[in-house]
Amino acid sequence: MAEKQIGSETVASAAKGKMTLFRDDRQEDVGAIVFSIILIAIIVVLTMNK
Amino acid sequence: MTAASESGFFAQLPKALPGLALLIGTMVVIRLYVEPWMAGAVILGQKGWLIKVTHLNYILLGIIMGLLYRNVLFGGKLPEVFADGFRLSRLFIKTGIILLGSLYTMQAIVKLGAMAIFLIGGFVVLSIVMVLWLGRLLHMDRSMTGVMANACSICGVSAAVATAPAVEAKATHVAYAIATILGFGILTMFISPFIGHALGLNDLQYGAWVGTGILNSGQVLAACLAFNPTVAPGTAVSVGEIWNIMRVISIPFAVFAVTVWYWAGHDQPQGQQKSLGTLLVEKFPVFVLGFLGMVLLTSIGAFGDAGIKGGPPASATIKMIRDWMQWIFGIGLVGMGGYIDFKELRQAGGTPLKIGLIVGVTKYVLALIVVLLIRDHLVEI
Repeated sequence: MAEKQIGSETVASAAKGKMTLFRDDRQEDVGAIVFSIILIAIIVVLTMNK
Repeated sequence: MTAASESGFFAQLPKALPGLALLIGTMVVIRLYVEPWMAGAVILGQKGWLIKVTHLNYILLGIIMGLLYRNVLFGGKLPEVFADGFRLSRLFIKTGIILLGSLYTMQAIVKLGAMAIFLIGGFVVLSIVMVLWLGRLLHMDRSMTGVMANACSICGVSAAVATAPAVEAKATHVAYAIATILGFGILTMFISPFIGHALGLNDLQYGAWVGTGILNSGQVLAACLAFNPTVAPGTAVSVGEIWNIMRVISIPFAVFAVTVWYWAGHDQPQGQQKSLGTLLVEKFPVFVLGFLGMVLLTSIGAFGDAGIKGGPPASATIKMIRDWMQWIFGIGLVGMGGYIDFKELRQAGGTPLKIGLIVGVTKYVLALIVVLLIRDHLVEI
């Protein structure tokens, strides 16, 4: 069975949610937004006086 | 974010550090040592031959390194110590796409978006119809056909996974669909920059072509950055990603359409009936809202001048955002390379492979022809 050949954390196992540290895609999306806000805040502070 | 998922993510984060260090370390070595060496190396009597002829850059090198880690160095499976770090790669790619919003103004999005909706919408509908027709012609399983229809029309992995429960697909169906489209996508990701350079396409034409013709979001990103690694308004990645985002947004609509097709003539079991509104709430890719927020902030000048063509140069903040974006994409794409398993790609076969190839090649070639035909009408930003 092809199903049995699927690796535990590869692209074809996306349905099993193994491709992310988050619970699911939606949580990962929110995580990306939070990560972006943190990065932008850091960049704004670093370039404040330039 | 719920407290449970938050603690789950943060609890796992320390375990992800070794893998994350490998992703970051790989990109640091590539960008600080390998690329400068390639630019200066004299091969066949020509300085920089490796870059000029092979068009290798940090993006392609990163993906190749990820591929080599999994399939050669680690013998086909990422070791536990690195696996959690590689699971952060999509987070990096999505974060990069959100930051990519700093390349556009709302005005440019409206201009580009109108054309993108027309082209993307046309190709999504064409691909779905082709797969459904071919599936019927070649007597492919109805669930498999439904998954393939959205996998070939929208954005590969996400669309296949989103469609599966609505058409009663098994994990095997999803695996076949993903293996087929990724195999095709990997090929197009590597050959597209060569074709683009050979045909003398500019960034606008190339971005429009691969944004329409390549099936998977990560591969669109990689193909654009492989063609031109510069992240700035008007470059291939700024065009290709708008096309790609339009396609990603269409996931709930395409899932709805294929679900309606699947259940046509059947009695859908209670609990499986989902309206378009429910699908929009459940399947809408929320990170797109972050991208739009970034476009809005850039448009109102929250980060200073955006450096849009014909305007004042980009502010220090915008320049740093774009510089960091290149690193974020690079790190994410090393991780993406690490998810490509040659053993899995060999699962592709039979009717799904035939249909995937027919639709994939048709879309890829037709998108190029359409872009060449309308090249004078493409909106520049």
